[in-house]
Amino acid sequence: MAEVKYLSEHYHKPEYRGLAGYKANGGYAMLEKALKMQPQQIIDEVKASGLRGRGGAGFPTGMKWGFLPKNGEPRYLLCNADESEPGTFKDRVMMEKAPHQLIEGMIISAYAVGAKKAYIYIRGEYMGPAAILEEAIAEAKKAGYIGKNILGSGVDVELDLYLGAGAYICGEETGLISSLEGFKGQPKLKPPFPAVQGYLKKPTIVNNVETLAAVVNIIRDGGQGYRKYGTEKSAGTKLFSLSGAVQKPGTYEVPLGYKLMDFINNECGGLLPGRKLKGVIPGGSSAPILSAEECMDATLDYENMAAKGSMLGSGAIIVIDDSYCMVDVLSTITHFYHHESCGQCTPCREGTGWVQKIVHGIVHGNGKPGDVDLLLKIADNMKGRTICALSDAAALPVLSFVTKYREEFEYFIKEKKSKVKGTQIYAQLNPSEMGAH
Amino acid sequence: MPESNNTAAPATEPKMLKMTINGKEVEVKEGTSIIEAYSQHGMSIAHYCWHPGLSVAGVCRLCMVEIEGNPRLQIACNTAVTDGMKVNNESEKVKDAVKWGLDFHLINHPLDCPICDQAGECGLQDQYMAYGKYTPEMAEKKVKKHKVVDLGPRVVLDSERCILCSRCVRFTDEVSKTNELGIFNRGDRAEIGTFEGKPLDNNYSLNTVDICPVGALTSKDFRFRQRVWFLKEHNSICTGCSTGCNTRVFYNKEGLFRIKPRYNKDINGYWMTDTGRDAYKFVNKEARLLDARVVSNGRGEWIAPKLAARKAGEALKGAGKSVALVVTGQYMNEEYEALLSYFKNEVGTDRVFHWINNPETFDSFDGLLARGDKNPNTKGLLAEMAKQGFTAQWRELAEGLQTGAIKTVVVAGPENQAVFPDLKAKIMELSKASKLVWLQAGKNDQLEALTGDVTLIPLKTYVEKTGTYVNYAGIAQKVHKGLTVVPNALSLVEVVALMKGEELPADDTYNQVGLGRVHNEFTMVRGTL
Repeated sequence: MAEVKYLSEHYHKPEYRGLAGYKANGGYAMLEKALKMQPQQIIDEVKASGLRGRGGAGFPTGMKWGFLPKNGEPRYLLCNADESEPGTFKDRVMMEKAPHQLIEGMIISAYAVGAKKAYIYIRGEYMGPAAILEEAIAEAKKAGYIGKNILGSGVDVELDLYLGAGAYICGEETGLISSLEGFKGQPKLKPPFPAVQGYLKKPTIVNNVETLAAVVNIIRDGGQGYRKYGTEKSAGTKLFSLSGAVQKPGTYEVPLGYKLMDFINNECGGLLPGRKLKGVIPGGSSAPILSAEECMDATLDYENMAAKGSMLGSGAIIVIDDSYCMVDVLSTITHFYHHESCGQCTPCREGTGWVQKIVHGIVHGNGKPGDVDLLLKIADNMKGRTICALSDAAALPVLSFVTKYREEFEYFIKEKKSKVKGTQIYAQLNPSEMGAH
Repeated sequence: MPESNNTAAPATEPKMLKMTINGKEVEVKEGTSIIEAYSQHGMSIAHYCWHPGLSVAGVCRLCMVEIEGNPRLQIACNTAVTDGMKVNNESEKVKDAVKWGLDFHLINHPLDCPICDQAGECGLQDQYMAYGKYTPEMAEKKVKKHKVVDLGPRVVLDSERCILCSRCVRFTDEVSKTNELGIFNRGDRAEIGTFEGKPLDNNYSLNTVDICPVGALTSKDFRFRQRVWFLKEHNSICTGCSTGCNTRVFYNKEGLFRIKPRYNKDINGYWMTDTGRDAYKFVNKEARLLDARVVSNGRGEWIAPKLAARKAGEALKGAGKSVALVVTGQYMNEEYEALLSYFKNEVGTDRVFHWINNPETFDSFDGLLARGDKNPNTKGLLAEMAKQGFTAQWRELAEGLQTGAIKTVVVAGPENQAVFPDLKAKIMELSKASKLVWLQAGKNDQLEALTGDVTLIPLKTYVEKTGTYVNYAGIAQKVHKGLTVVPNALSLVEVVALMKGEELPADDTYNQVGLGRVHNEFTMVRGTL
């Protein structure tokens, strides 16, 4: 199976962005259908569909919804549109092409979980998509799809947009909640989990844009119907953002379980002429890199990626060919995590800086013997020791790059130049980033 | 004050849970966190950000424990004990994690222990000795941050030493509720700070210095004055107000240097006020009346206090209602008992007047610890006055002085003169009496300049005598003599004994301070902010 148009069926139509065009293509019919169902029925369908969170962690959505307390306590539905994992740009496409699809999915989901108030938390840099969403929300409010007594059903759901201030950490669900509450965007200690105590200390569900949009399709085709694509454990389709050294980078929708190499070679036009594959980061910069060999039999689903010691993440595939210096690629990644660590937990705050200094030292010809092993030790001790997963996200690429491309690092330390001929080092030591004032 | 995050008070007796800590079986109440279980059973666990008086932050990641059945190490501060849980923090896995946790704290921490005030009582030093002792592998440049940041009138910040445990921030959020502090910037550029125009200026600000596990927050009053290993500790009670916070007084033979709070869950928890911390200044020799001063016929001389007390006693004996006693609530139960019964039975007067610090603010309370009644033992004094049947009104004193019915006034003046705003006026008023006997610990130029028939007798302060204070809530707290600052000074009990013509027991000088400089190069080069 190759590229499919399931979620993205109408994305090629410019009018789909507006309410009229969306409705003309069957939009909001599923909301009407859902409002006639019982909330529990919707949850059951989502459970049956096997839909897993599309933001990165891949947690089963129906199960997450099931963690909400079964009382009448006020609760919130938050849409995580803080798409900031390096390499990820599929939510952006969804919000730009089909804002109403997200709104419809959110209203259905809010009704299912019993939330009367929902927010879309969108990253600060997404001012364009935010403007499009603002317009769509205004249209939907005017048309009675948001607000009191939606379509005469007696169901009330308010929906608003909140623009973040551009911090990666606000894509972590409790960091997002802190930010939405008006505090510094820092993850919160768990337990309590958001489903028990989240936004404003009330039960809260945080779902990714793509997850919520997929709920519309689940209502249309039913839980079992949704499973026509994908595998047993990774049901449905997924939007992948593919970037890097390929002929046709971009966002593509493919069924889960699709072969990685087929995706690269068929949909994305293959590698650039004369280049050889060196590795693929399959799920955003925090996912451990797959070596070229590992890519050959890799399939795009949660279980295969996990078996290979990596993860599907947000579906951000970064293809790296033999013209890239892995030390330089890693220095860009470590720079990012050092810049974005919120600074709460010591291993992450200090570890990201330490790792970054060592890697930058290597690419600037200041590497020392023993740096490679030290990097592995530091990263190993950053892993699993903090409140949120940012520390792991910073450590995993270090571990995978250094383990899988160790000879490149050692060559660079010894020869004080890259093993890859003609490498232009992009990493810059920015004095302000080194902590000087 | 929250004892921990889990403050929801159960209506019924909490269930007891069985657990195993490092192989030892213990019982804890349901809702206890692992770190609380460790501290309740006297077992040590490395931690920086956790503090029993604050909410759980879970950020230092040092209190790692291994829980049987869980492959991942967990933090003890945010993990509740469950029945049958088996926890240990002595395995190699935990030790390695703590060692690394410590190393992450230290890589950017300046190695300036020789000039750091915290040295000797520093969490980083302690944990390094327990878990570290490795060769540092960090060869890169350390992060540069702000030094000598003036946070407020009493506290200075060194951001490079700060390990961002957030205790101080949580303190101002949760305890003082003044919210001055915040963490600015992120990652390893994060720093504690205040907003422009809103300095750390509240009466509890020095608690942040106490709870700072490193030398990041230092007290302007104490910094660079002594190395802590030159100081001895004496448990005492704060006499700054009627709350009676439990304290530790730090001193050496040079004098007293600082006061820190001592935990008492019924009175002050873990905290005390900044004003209470100044209660060592009036104890030090520079502020004290060192000998008795007797003025007669316009000529004053300094004599031994014992002699002065005896002489004053001779004149008071049986003098009856021509004598008035003015007494503040700054003394101990035992002293009031001796003094008041002496005046009733031996002097024969019921003209005893209670002098309070400031009637307008006397009943005020800041909601946390500080009370307007700036006397440690108002309750004790009132009880003793009631027992002796003294009911005189201030009006009678003014009238008696006017008409000449009151000839002699004896004053047990304030030990802490700074909290009596009407001190000057009272000295003027009471010195109208033809004879004035003023008993007080501190020196006072106005009193020494009086030219009438005046006797000044130096008293001991609260660290130099043993006795009982009763706080605002009626809790009686005993303090013990810890040191001697002015060897000649007397307690009121001793003054009364001498007035009666009795002999005192032999010299009881003890742990004498104020003898001069401790040889310490550090104090020679003390800087100022």
